[in-house]
Amino acid sequence: MTMATPAKTMTAPHVEWGRVRSSRRTADRMMKIIATSFTLIAIVVLFWILGMLIVKGLGGLSASTFTQITPGPGTEGGGLANAIVGSIVLTFLGIAVATPIGVLAGTYLAEYGKASKLADLIRFINDILLSAPSILIGLFVYVILVEPFRGYSGWAGGVALGIIAIPVIVRTTEDMLRLVPGSLREAGAALGAPPSVVITSVTWRAAKSGMVTGVLLALARIAGETAPLIFTALNNNFWFSPNLIGGVSNLPVTIYQFASAPYENWQQLAWAGSLIITVSILVLSIIARRIVRGGK
Amino acid sequence: MLSTLELSPQTLDAEAPVRIAVKNLDFYYGEHKALKNINLDFRDRHVTALIGPSGCGKSTLLRIFNRIYSLYPEQKATGEILLDGRNIISNNVDVNELRSRIGMVFQKPTPFPMSIYDNVAFGIRLYEKPPKSELDDRVEGALRRAALWDEVKDKLKSSGMGLSGGQQQRLCIARTIAQKPEVILFDEPTSALDPISTGKIEDLLEQLKSDFTIVIVTHNMQQAARISQYTAFMYLGEVIEFDATNTIFMNPHKKQTQDYVTGRFG
Repeated sequence: MTMATPAKTMTAPHVEWGRVRSSRRTADRMMKIIATSFTLIAIVVLFWILGMLIVKGLGGLSASTFTQITPGPGTEGGGLANAIVGSIVLTFLGIAVATPIGVLAGTYLAEYGKASKLADLIRFINDILLSAPSILIGLFVYVILVEPFRGYSGWAGGVALGIIAIPVIVRTTEDMLRLVPGSLREAGAALGAPPSVVITSVTWRAAKSGMVTGVLLALARIAGETAPLIFTALNNNFWFSPNLIGGVSNLPVTIYQFASAPYENWQQLAWAGSLIITVSILVLSIIARRIVRGGK
Repeated sequence: MLSTLELSPQTLDAEAPVRIAVKNLDFYYGEHKALKNINLDFRDRHVTALIGPSGCGKSTLLRIFNRIYSLYPEQKATGEILLDGRNIISNNVDVNELRSRIGMVFQKPTPFPMSIYDNVAFGIRLYEKPPKSELDDRVEGALRRAALWDEVKDKLKSSGMGLSGGQQQRLCIARTIAQKPEVILFDEPTSALDPISTGKIEDLLEQLKSDFTIVIVTHNMQQAARISQYTAFMYLGEVIEFDATNTIFMNPHKKQTQDYVTGRFG
């Protein structure tokens, strides 16, 4: 007869309302101090990196950085003009490859596949691709696009960067489309619009700012990738040919090579290049955030 | 108690042809049978209200008429719904064409993320390619009929999402009638709106019934009494009683109906 238990054993020991036992308060303070100090450590490291980058990078930065091409071994001066332009070309090539595939695959997952087995499988593979080591993707593209054509090319570099950007765009596209309320799709269908029209003129429109942000974030992600380019676009100290056949100079690989070289002007250019990439990614991220906020 | 319901003088034409005939209709959400053996006739150019407590199946029934349930593969209807003699739930019906003939207005306003003009023109452009001037006229006409024209005529190019809730709902009604459907389904169109917006929408329904066959689902019994000529009372997936609205509210034959319309349960 548990029901018959006297009521007084059910009441908690009397504690004045609002009072907290001191041991709990100490534990709470300790937790707060530990969490705060580790956050500070993370921030200090971050600003240390940024500070060093700005100091050393600004030291290596001059007008000639943007006008002259990368110097050969042992030559004085020089700039990064060919590497900057090459990086822009490769990055946009990558985004041009990744955007249609990523957007359409994300659309398939959100609008057609939904909870089907195939969609779940694609999501799983996409997640693996999202965290795949980028050097692996560089090697893969080397095997399919460099070796068979007997030469490095900007095209191979763009494809490698594209493969890295695809899973980012697939994920953000699907997430953004799933945020669009089902009632909007029903309203489109209720007017007699077939699914393709509902998707292209209602759902995509509603998710537009989020989808653009996903593409910009993917752009920021691949702008600084080095490993996939080592085996594909390679790098050199010349202007690349307009058909992008042969090595295409680019910032990440230039930084990688120049930073470990014994020439002082190379090391300075490596710092300047790092600063340029970091600032570009920062600007892209800020634009992406602005768009997200503007869309709401 | 019944006197608290203001019943408008209903002009009820018992000779009006039946526009939609529901025969032996069952509906399933997966394994769950949500509607059981529904038999109802909806008369041409009349307003028929579906009332009943939450979960009774009234919205489910409404969503069968334009086959919107077909968007969800696990939902299934069996039986017949005859629109002009054709069974609309059979597999060989072109659902998109059907939906262009049977419009629907939802509980929450659903303006598309585009301009007011494009919202109204959306449905027209799907199936017709009228010249610009005719399209302009149709958009204006639909907005006028939805009593929204005066409020938006100077900002047709601005987004439909920027309107107030009541204006958005009238925009959705304009979008629906612009397509010139034969039947309009309203799924609790005023439950998300304030009393003034609700009043405007009810006035609108009164106007629209001269041209359209209207089926409205509502939680609000006063609303059903005010605007409909026929009312079906549903409970647990079945139609308990279907009759002229005055009969349902003043002199129902079933005790359950009596209890519901007098507020004794629900």
